[in-house]
Amino acid sequence: MANNNQEEKLHATNHYLYYPDEENLPPYLAYGFRPIFLLLAPYLVISMILWGFVWSGFIHIPFMDNPIQWHVYEMIFGILTAGVMAFLTTGLPELFPGMVPFVGKRLKYIMILWIAGRVSFWFIDITGVYLTAILNLAMLGWLIWFAKDAVLDKLQRHASIGYTLVTLFVIESWFFSSVLGWSTTNSMDILKVALGANVVLILLAMRRVNMEAVNELMEDKEIDDTYISRPPLTNLAIFCVSLFTIVEFYYPHNSALGWIGLGTGAAILAITSDYNLKDKFILNQPFVIYFYSIYILFFIGYGLMGWDILLGEPYDINSFRHFITAGGLSIAYLMVMVTIGWIHTGRHLTSNIYTHLMVFFIILASSMRGLIPFFQEYSAQLYLWSALLWTIPFILYIKVFFKFLLSPRADGVKG
Amino acid sequence: MKFLFKILKDFPAYLWSGWGAMASTLLFIAFWDLGNQVYGNLVLPSPLETFKTLYTMLQDKDVWEQIDITLYRASVGFGLSMLFGSILGLIAGFFATASMMSRPIVTILVGMPPIAWIVLAMIWFGMGDETVIFTVVVASFPIVFVGALQGTRTLDGDLKEMAESFDFPWHMKFFDVYFPHIFSYIFPAWVSGLGMAWKIVIMAELLATSDGMGAELAIARSQLDTPTALALVTIMITSLMFIEYIILEPIKREVELWRA
Repeated sequence: MANNNQEEKLHATNHYLYYPDEENLPPYLAYGFRPIFLLLAPYLVISMILWGFVWSGFIHIPFMDNPIQWHVYEMIFGILTAGVMAFLTTGLPELFPGMVPFVGKRLKYIMILWIAGRVSFWFIDITGVYLTAILNLAMLGWLIWFAKDAVLDKLQRHASIGYTLVTLFVIESWFFSSVLGWSTTNSMDILKVALGANVVLILLAMRRVNMEAVNELMEDKEIDDTYISRPPLTNLAIFCVSLFTIVEFYYPHNSALGWIGLGTGAAILAITSDYNLKDKFILNQPFVIYFYSIYILFFIGYGLMGWDILLGEPYDINSFRHFITAGGLSIAYLMVMVTIGWIHTGRHLTSNIYTHLMVFFIILASSMRGLIPFFQEYSAQLYLWSALLWTIPFILYIKVFFKFLLSPRADGVKG
Repeated sequence: MKFLFKILKDFPAYLWSGWGAMASTLLFIAFWDLGNQVYGNLVLPSPLETFKTLYTMLQDKDVWEQIDITLYRASVGFGLSMLFGSILGLIAGFFATASMMSRPIVTILVGMPPIAWIVLAMIWFGMGDETVIFTVVVASFPIVFVGALQGTRTLDGDLKEMAESFDFPWHMKFFDVYFPHIFSYIFPAWVSGLGMAWKIVIMAELLATSDGMGAELAIARSQLDTPTALALVTIMITSLMFIEYIILEPIKREVELWRA
């Protein structure tokens, strides 16, 4: 049985071999991605509106007197765990066909852990850093334990993702030890390192999501060609991102870092050259454009950061960083939510006006946030409006996908 | 015509695939910047300063004139070696005796250091265009010659026989049977010959003339003007990269495609 399976192409249409027989499984607990997307979309909407109000000065939330640091923390780690959870619980049973999907009661407990992590975060002034640290590290730790098969796999096909997660765990622990005063490193600097590791993780994950989704799409539309995302290009981009992250940690204003930033942008953009297929033209396919925009936004982010460092003071680098976070990373998460939302609820990968608008509003919102240095006089409005516009894609997600997530698969398959 | 169309059609995708090369070039520039921070401005000016110098230089008409002179010398020298190298190489390839005979001569030409040629040329021709052009020719001629020779030597005997037995007219024999094969050898040889010509022209100018980019480089050296020197180097490298990667490489790819 296992032999047969290895010869099959590992497309997203393939399923697990075994499905656990737990009785009375509600649809929202039938597969790993379902509850987390049901929680993540509203959470993103509500929390971003709150942040928008905080930055434009309408409300004040006392985050241990350092709201920026905690904003960055939550946007990186809080959302990371949700995205990774969906990615792993959905992807691993496919990549390793012997694996049993993670569903039901155990899934519910993990979801409660994630929710507890969020609650402890927003009430950190009351519940304390220790509780937040323990709950959030436990969540990431569980994900690593869950992904252990990928790391221990003899062929090491997907081990890089596991190692990156372990790195992120170390970085998150380092961050908390800095906040608690055990480590003297500036906690904001640690978060920048975390962002670098996060981008690496996304590049690794997107290479796989991309290949599955684009090839599936081409099969659907009977475009006779194969899209292969070549590892050397991704590896070059990962090398550049890592180099940028490390050099930024030690020498944040060094002019060499500026050139590395420009190089990193170029290396990330180089990944898109794989979309130029040998025979067929696919750059007019909406999903290809969506995936493409992730790399374009990363390119703009790293490019502008590099350019800013080369120009010298005043440094607007953190605004430009939002092209990476609010832009590229957000579309990457959104794409994971959308592709899984279609395919793994038993539907074809479809693009429509809603998916167009989702991507459009993220590009618009991240551009508004990222370009604030050029429009200083409107900064208060831009802070607020970029945050509000950024939530629209997730509101649309709720509208389009929640009914799928709350009902059984359309094709009758379990999960 | 179809060939040209295909090159043009593939060109955007080819150009876009250059981002990876761009990335490693930029990392190299970052490394250069590091060198500047370690050794200081006099030894190695920063990339940014160099590019700024380059920008001001390119506003100057005189600099363009010097580039023009160098370009003229390189083109004439390379043109001559391309012409004679290809023709003689093809002929030598068709006759086993000739190819046997030419081997040691090519070795002598390749083995002789260009700097020695420059000294001889300076004695023979004095300080001027001829010296530079001569040096360029001797340096890049053997490369083209060997390429052409290889191209004809390696022609597939069976294919030749097939063409004979079908009794193709001579033009068909040449353009459809021999030419694609020979061209796939000779074209890469032209590319490396051009690279050689571009390097040698600067060296010859630096030693033997009072104008051209090489001479400018000599002036920059005597005045310890490192930013200008590096800016000149940047012009040379960018122009070579432009010719090689934007113009020649796409053609080379198409030419070599059938061999793979």
